[in-house]
Amino acid sequence: MSVLHIDGIAKTFGDTTALHEISLRVTDGEFVTLLGPSGCGKTTLMRIIAGITQPDRGAIRIDGRDIQTLPPERRNIGLVFQSYALFPHMTVAANVGFGLKMRGIPSADADRRVTDALDLVDLGPLAGRYPRALSGGQQQRVALARAVVIEPDILLFDEPLSNLDAKLRDQLRDDLKVLQRRLGITAIYVTHDQAEAMALADRILVMKDGRIVEEGAPVALYRHPRTRFSAEFLGQTNVLPVYLAAGQVMLPWEQKIAVIGSTTGGHVSLRPEDVAMEVDPDGLGEVQSVTFLGASVECRVAVHGVEVRVRATGSAVGIPAVGTRVSLSARVTPHPLADVIVHDSEAITG
Amino acid sequence: MTKGIFQRFAVAILILPAGGYLALFFGLPLMLAFLGGFGMFTRGDETGFTLEHYRALFGTQAYRDGLWFSTYLAIVPTVVSLAVSLPLAVALARTHPGQRLFNILYKVPLVVPGIVAAFVVMTMFDRGGLAARVLAPIGVDLPKLVRDQWAIGVIIATSWKAVPFMTLIIGGSLGAINRDILSAARTLGAGPLATFWRIQVPLALPGITAAFLLTFIGGMGAYAVPNLLGPVYPLPLSVHMYVNAFERNNWGLVSAMGTVLSLISIAVLLAYYRATRGMRTAYGGEAR
Repeated sequence: MSVLHIDGIAKTFGDTTALHEISLRVTDGEFVTLLGPSGCGKTTLMRIIAGITQPDRGAIRIDGRDIQTLPPERRNIGLVFQSYALFPHMTVAANVGFGLKMRGIPSADADRRVTDALDLVDLGPLAGRYPRALSGGQQQRVALARAVVIEPDILLFDEPLSNLDAKLRDQLRDDLKVLQRRLGITAIYVTHDQAEAMALADRILVMKDGRIVEEGAPVALYRHPRTRFSAEFLGQTNVLPVYLAAGQVMLPWEQKIAVIGSTTGGHVSLRPEDVAMEVDPDGLGEVQSVTFLGASVECRVAVHGVEVRVRATGSAVGIPAVGTRVSLSARVTPHPLADVIVHDSEAITG
Repeated sequence: MTKGIFQRFAVAILILPAGGYLALFFGLPLMLAFLGGFGMFTRGDETGFTLEHYRALFGTQAYRDGLWFSTYLAIVPTVVSLAVSLPLAVALARTHPGQRLFNILYKVPLVVPGIVAAFVVMTMFDRGGLAARVLAPIGVDLPKLVRDQWAIGVIIATSWKAVPFMTLIIGGSLGAINRDILSAARTLGAGPLATFWRIQVPLALPGITAAFLLTFIGGMGAYAVPNLLGPVYPLPLSVHMYVNAFERNNWGLVSAMGTVLSLISIAVLLAYYRATRGMRTAYGGEAR
């Protein structure tokens, strides 16, 4: 239960800048996710917080206490690794008890806490086993128990679910969220998986090239992204050019929209599920391709040379043939993107 | 039933190339040496079964001392080299400036033959050697380091050769440990020293064991370096073996000495395994 302050942390490796002066504040009990593609610096930032990597400059404070000069063993930060990083020569119980032993906790007390931690992740009966005798999911739960048993001020997760198969990943993701809420630990979670980030986080920080490009609550970030990068990284979207006609902002299919926020940008983000499609012989769009995905149908529609993705869900949805004329409409008010240059309206209409 | 016999026969045929090779070139000579110690199948004069060679070996002061001296010359340089190699391997595993150059430099003794190393030590540390001449003007008088009672010269030359060899093997073992495991230990509260003893050493134990055993066995049979740099008395058993074989044609005694050296090696190896068992099972099981 702690507040983490990161102030101007920067790091370069040789000629490569891994982090450009990152600053952020994580409040007590908050679950923050660092989301970005590989190489964006998110793991470096996490390793700097843990004390494994030294930053070039900047400060890190937990509850106002400067921890920047402390070695990892004195920071009281729990870290769960993608590779689990269990000690192969120790039993599950010894792995979980290692941190307590290093802290000089008396063995009776330590044993009780190890048992509690293993019960927390439903692994009590496997205490005497070695990591090699456990499945990937079980190993990661041991790693989780090992990280929380020391009652860390901050709990860090470095892509902990990436090595697990999809079904197990969903299960463990839910368990993890319940556990974090229950323990109320301040957590930072690094991932490149947008679904994981949205499911877990109170707040998502989108990272790119060593910078935080955008941050916000999952719903706000998904529905109203400010940048093209986060719009596209958090699921599929249509980045559509808009143009001004008689003082109105228009979508490519000549629908007037009231753009939320600034209108200086020439593009908006519109999710495929937010586009409605109707068969209309006079419609401006023409279906280019149709993909049936079970729960949904995805179509690509060409309108004035712009390709628009449309996703419709439910069994009542009809499946149009390629070449069908359709009309499109936005179900929601699209959000302008700040990082796309202003578009020349002539280019679209002409 | 027939199938079972056939399968066993097939397995025997498949094992034959490897098993036969070991039996022919390892088992048979060892067996002949063992029997030779009792006067059987020996080169030179055939005496028939006798305990005379063992009586001579254990009844002669020079041979008894030689036996202990051989063991001493195997254990001490191995322990000294291990004490240097282990921290060196850990230090080399970290990234530091000049890493590539240092990685090449520390391996130089590997390509220098043992006899050359012995002459280097002699040139450096013998009375009137380079070290003595450099240190004399500042009033430092080096103790006797070559042909001295404690075989310091032998230990220096053997360790000089063994350190890069052990560092290479142990370094490979340390390098194979996932770095996340070390980081995990640190975040859980282990300082660099605790991480070294509780994580790195147990996980690198297979490499440490291999390095220890190979160096130890090399030292047990060493001939050239102790002969050049060791004291006049005692002489290691290897030197006695040479003298008895080629100057006295007493092959029975040589066989007895060889057998005892092998048995002591085996005893030390068993003791080593026993001593490190705690490390391998401290947390309830074998490392890896």
